Amino acid sequence: MLLVPCPHCGPRNQSDLRLLGEAVPRPNPNTATRAEWGEYLYLRDNPADYVTETWYCRAGCRRYFTVERHQATNEFRNPPLPGDKVGNSTYTTITVGSSGKQRGANEGEAS
Amino acid sequence: MVSFRKSNPGPVRYSAATLARKGLSGDDWPRVWRDHDLRKTYDVIIIGGGVHGLATAYYLATNHDITNVAVLDKGYLGGGGSGRNTAIVRSNYLTPEGVAFYDRSLTLYNSMAADLNINVMFSERGHMTLAHTDSALRTMHWRAEVNKLQGIDSSVIDPQEVKKICPSLDITSHPRYPILGALHHPPGGIIRHDAVVWGYARGADHAGVHLHQKTEVLDILCEGGGLADGKGAGGKVTGVRTNRGDISAPIVVNCTAGWGSLISNMAGVKLPIVTHPLEAAVTEPVKVFLPAVVVSGSLHVYVSQTDRGELVFGASVDPLATYSMRGSLSFTEELAGHILELMPGISKMRLLRQWAGLCDMTPDYSPIMGFTPVEGHLTDVGWGTYGFKAGPVSGEQMAECIATQQTPKLIAPFKLSRFETGELVGEKGAAAVGH
Repeated sequence: MLLVPCPHCGPRNQSDLRLLGEAVPRPNPNTATRAEWGEYLYLRDNPADYVTETWYCRAGCRRYFTVERHQATNEFRNPPLPGDKVGNSTYTTITVGSSGKQRGANEGEAS
Repeated sequence: MVSFRKSNPGPVRYSAATLARKGLSGDDWPRVWRDHDLRKTYDVIIIGGGVHGLATAYYLATNHDITNVAVLDKGYLGGGGSGRNTAIVRSNYLTPEGVAFYDRSLTLYNSMAADLNINVMFSERGHMTLAHTDSALRTMHWRAEVNKLQGIDSSVIDPQEVKKICPSLDITSHPRYPILGALHHPPGGIIRHDAVVWGYARGADHAGVHLHQKTEVLDILCEGGGLADGKGAGGKVTGVRTNRGDISAPIVVNCTAGWGSLISNMAGVKLPIVTHPLEAAVTEPVKVFLPAVVVSGSLHVYVSQTDRGELVFGASVDPLATYSMRGSLSFTEELAGHILELMPGISKMRLLRQWAGLCDMTPDYSPIMGFTPVEGHLTDVGWGTYGFKAGPVSGEQMAECIATQQTPKLIAPFKLSRFETGELVGEKGAAAVGH
């Protein structure tokens, strides 16, 4: 069982969190091609090396954060600290309507 | 350089007569396969010496007369997923594509002992997938109807019939997840997985294929592609670099499990695969009491009893994506809790050992087979938790694919490009835990 370094709750048992997989930048929905969507949705590097991945602290602070973990040794590297601008912005940010207004999941509901 | 023992040149036919003769004369048995020096050039290089790689080599040689073939494995033959699975075979899948494919595999498993002249100990004892919820029961009915349409023996049975087949199961309403019914699949069963590996290795070796153990592929050599060193889409394969030197070959097939992404990345092909470990365990041997393979998707467990009397348990994949094959206490604890829900009577049994294997999980729980954007690089990967039961048919179809340079109909749905076009083959309902 791993101890996952949540930036808000400190080290927590792996069973308190959910691994959401590699943090992959989201393509621009207005211009993305089919191949780009396919790559964003499905293709992964899956290295036996450090990978930047997104975790969800489901039984703790219920926030998303990204951290680097080695996929062969399971060691964490550069754990984020509280106050760090954590979270892959391309993961937590969605574009609303045509105005291009940004809404971040870490920053509370906009309206 | 051929190194059969001198007293026994060439493979012998396994039979009762041979056994008696060898037993009385005290002669050595010949080695099951030979060691060879690495050639500079092969027509086909297969990376991965498990059931899939060896079956591909065997069918290339026997069905298509392509014998200048090398199978490379960084460890020993059958040391990966082929030796770590729970040896269950079945064909009661959910999609018509999956059912047709796995049924062909079951047909090949049925005649394997005669075809390969080796005792694979296939025990066609029946396979039961338990349903503990209304939605699970609905999926079982769905699967049964898909199966029946394709001529597969598969039906939904009620708890009393479940009890009749496996008296040790608790069908009362006491457990947290009571048994509401089951999908019964009489042609399913278990087989001796090592013998399957050895049978294909022996057959391939006999037909002239070179099997190279302890030969690790360090790189795939390419030219003409868009990425560094000529790799990537639009390029073509020229050979591989191994720890024993470079080999040139126009066709390099990736038949690995667990390392599928890493190998194809060497050719500049990115795959939709995430590697998860799957843990399994075995108990001490006891008298035979479990006549069928029992699977519970809700309880994340499947169990069968071997000919020696041990119970073999498997689970679902660990949620953590990792190449580490370490066992965990939480697995043992959950497994014990879940299995006792099903069979309270085995609470005093002791676990002998546990192990893990690597599963290359794809988004739709179906494999990735056939051509890639790099000419000459083919994949037979993404076998998740269902690779062993598909070994023979994968070998047969991949061999046809390589020999004819056309994708056979049976594996066409499993093409890599489906992740771009969205034509996924969703097998999660029948493959996520059930084996």
